[in-house]
Amino acid sequence: MWTFGGQGETGRMCALRGGVFMYIFICEDSLEGIFTGVYDACASRLGHRNIHLASGEPENYELFSEYIRVTPSAEKTQKVVSTLISRFGRQFYESICQAAMSGERRSRKKMDKADAIYETILLALACGDGQKVLLSLGEPCVYRVFELCRATNREACQHLQFLRFSELENGVLFATIHPKDHILPLLAEHFSDRLPAENFMIYDAPHRLAAVHKASGGYALADAGELDHDKIKRYSGDELEYRKLWLAFFDHIAIDSRRNPALQMQMIPKRYWADTPELSRF
Amino acid sequence: MNKYSKTLAIGEHMCYTCGEHQFRYGRKKVQSVKIQQEMTLMEKLSILTDAAKYDVACTSSGTDRRGNKKDMGNCLAAGLCHTFAADGRCVSLLKILFTNECIFNCAYCQNNCNSDVPRASFTPEEVCTLTMEFYRRNYIEGLFLSSGILISPGYTMELIYQTICRLRNVYHFNGYIHVKAIPGADPALIQKTGFLADRMSINLELPTADGLKKLAPCKSRNTILRPMRQIQNSIAENKNELVVYRKAPQFVPAGQSTQMIIGATPESDFQIMSVAEALYHNFDLKRVFYSAFINVHPDADLPVLPGGPPLLREHRLYQADWLLRYYHFTVDELLSEDRPDFNIYLDPKCDWALRHLDFFPVEINRASRRTLLRVPGIGYKSAERIVKARRTCCLDFSDLKKIGVVLKRALYFITCSGKMMYNTKIDEDYICSCLMADRTQIPREIREGGYRQISLFDSATPGESAVTQEELIRSEAVAGA
Ligand code: SF4
Repeated sequence: MWTFGGQGETGRMCALRGGVFMYIFICEDSLEGIFTGVYDACASRLGHRNIHLASGEPENYELFSEYIRVTPSAEKTQKVVSTLISRFGRQFYESICQAAMSGERRSRKKMDKADAIYETILLALACGDGQKVLLSLGEPCVYRVFELCRATNREACQHLQFLRFSELENGVLFATIHPKDHILPLLAEHFSDRLPAENFMIYDAPHRLAAVHKASGGYALADAGELDHDKIKRYSGDELEYRKLWLAFFDHIAIDSRRNPALQMQMIPKRYWADTPELSRF
Repeated sequence: MNKYSKTLAIGEHMCYTCGEHQFRYGRKKVQSVKIQQEMTLMEKLSILTDAAKYDVACTSSGTDRRGNKKDMGNCLAAGLCHTFAADGRCVSLLKILFTNECIFNCAYCQNNCNSDVPRASFTPEEVCTLTMEFYRRNYIEGLFLSSGILISPGYTMELIYQTICRLRNVYHFNGYIHVKAIPGADPALIQKTGFLADRMSINLELPTADGLKKLAPCKSRNTILRPMRQIQNSIAENKNELVVYRKAPQFVPAGQSTQMIIGATPESDFQIMSVAEALYHNFDLKRVFYSAFINVHPDADLPVLPGGPPLLREHRLYQADWLLRYYHFTVDELLSEDRPDFNIYLDPKCDWALRHLDFFPVEINRASRRTLLRVPGIGYKSAERIVKARRTCCLDFSDLKKIGVVLKRALYFITCSGKMMYNTKIDEDYICSCLMADRTQIPREIREGGYRQISLFDSATPGESAVTQEELIRSEAVAGA
């Protein structure tokens, strides 16, 4: 028995059994890409032990592997989604989604995201109880999903807190964010519930995506490649006034004799500062 | 005009609801008030934020309320912090006073009637616009409205009520609102306000009635506890009502809280925690907050704390408070007449564990949830996860690490399938010195928070200013061993 591979022990190190190659399904790094990958992998009947998923092109190609490129398909995604929800419940499905939305950089040391999701789904299918599977953190794939999920959640939560809207000339509330993970839908969901009567737009700069909400309507995600960068700097008459009031409030609420920049930095990480009016000054 | 105006002695006109004109308060009655005509909103906001900042309660938690599809606002049970001020404290709510004019003379308060500070008052309209405009920009989670006592407690409460009423019914604000109930105000008024607010609080101010008499002669235990009891009873009644009729209006759904000032009067930690425990048990409070005393102006009755506000003490009290609320500890277990104060070097749970080594080690795969909660290094979330995860398999130390147990603290107190992680001595002094070597026993923000806490250690070893804090903690640990 000998091993091959070299993409780290959790992901790729597998014994070559009786001359069987590994099949590696390369998916697009998106919910649709990964779910289609899961669907194709299951449908391929190549034997689960010989299959891995990768959320993106591998760094180097292995000799004893066959690479299969997955074309994202809405139909297949829908099938996977409905299976997950009907068999294991909404909560399981949401955890898987949150893991899939993670933007954590792929690394050799850690299990690939798509692979972890695939294996976790397989475990759930074998065991029949999704919630139970999510609790078996001893399984490397489940632990990986748990880790990714926790990170995405934290990222989403921090953006709910630190995102700031500015009122534009045309009355639209506009916010720019720089998230690591693909959390825009979670944010859009939250703010649609909170500000139903506002027209607002959240611009996810690194992913070049925008969530656009119409007053008393729903929201939609749109490609923001064409965003008019001048328009989003033309603020309404009141905007600067209220911003100044906010800054005054922010400065006066701190207690001087408790001043503690280290704690402040720990609580609101530097990478959020540029997008908040009160801290971008420093 | 409504019925409350008749009860006011001052013959000023005060149509609160129209908001068209500025209020004229009975300023002649209030001493040392400098009236600034035509104050801008900016000036008012600055003054009234400064005046409100010593109130520590600023959480927006406790209510889960979805949006209603038309009005602005919703609430998340866990609460959200929107930013962190230069002192590292969370800013969740627009925390302001309605007015900082006050007829009372509480010694610890910068707004008391004898102090010479600029005074200002908002109009309900101003408070509403600020709240709405800040909220829609996602600056804040809601409003925290408190107030100095203007003219009389009843008059002040009426102003607060009118403001909140306007915010809810004219502006249709559906976010979080925390208001103060003013001790001594008409119970009917407090009742009405409670149906509009998410949380209400009345500050206990000082842990004992004696302290209160000395430092806040205008207040009494009685006037503070009476409305607290009223709110408690109304919440309980309202809960029953909601069972029968789900759409009934909610009364203070996020519960009530209170606050005590720590270090202005000589009470021990034991006294303070006993009061907190009694408040949780007898008044069903959601939270008790502890506020390290900050000397804002010289007063013969107040202590001068050379080390600045007692932040580490405050921190230990909060830790103990968590142990009461989530870990099923009682105050008697943590402190006693003979040991009235917390150990500054160890958190209260570690301290308890060291004094109860016979309780340990605890077997992770068998112990009840309550027992797990007693182990240093196991939080309530990890305890929950352990109980769930061990149903499917037998847990070992690497599983615990993944679950989030802080092993460097827990390892002395647990076994997994009968085995300890290392072969360690189970000896109080030995474990104590190991635990103290762990710098997180004193949180970084306090260690690095400036000169004040250094002075704490300076006094422990006078004349050795050059030693680092870590060395000091270490040397203490060795000395204790
Ligand atoms: S009642 Fe006492 S604590 Fe409150 S504002 Fe007046 S002086 Fe300050």
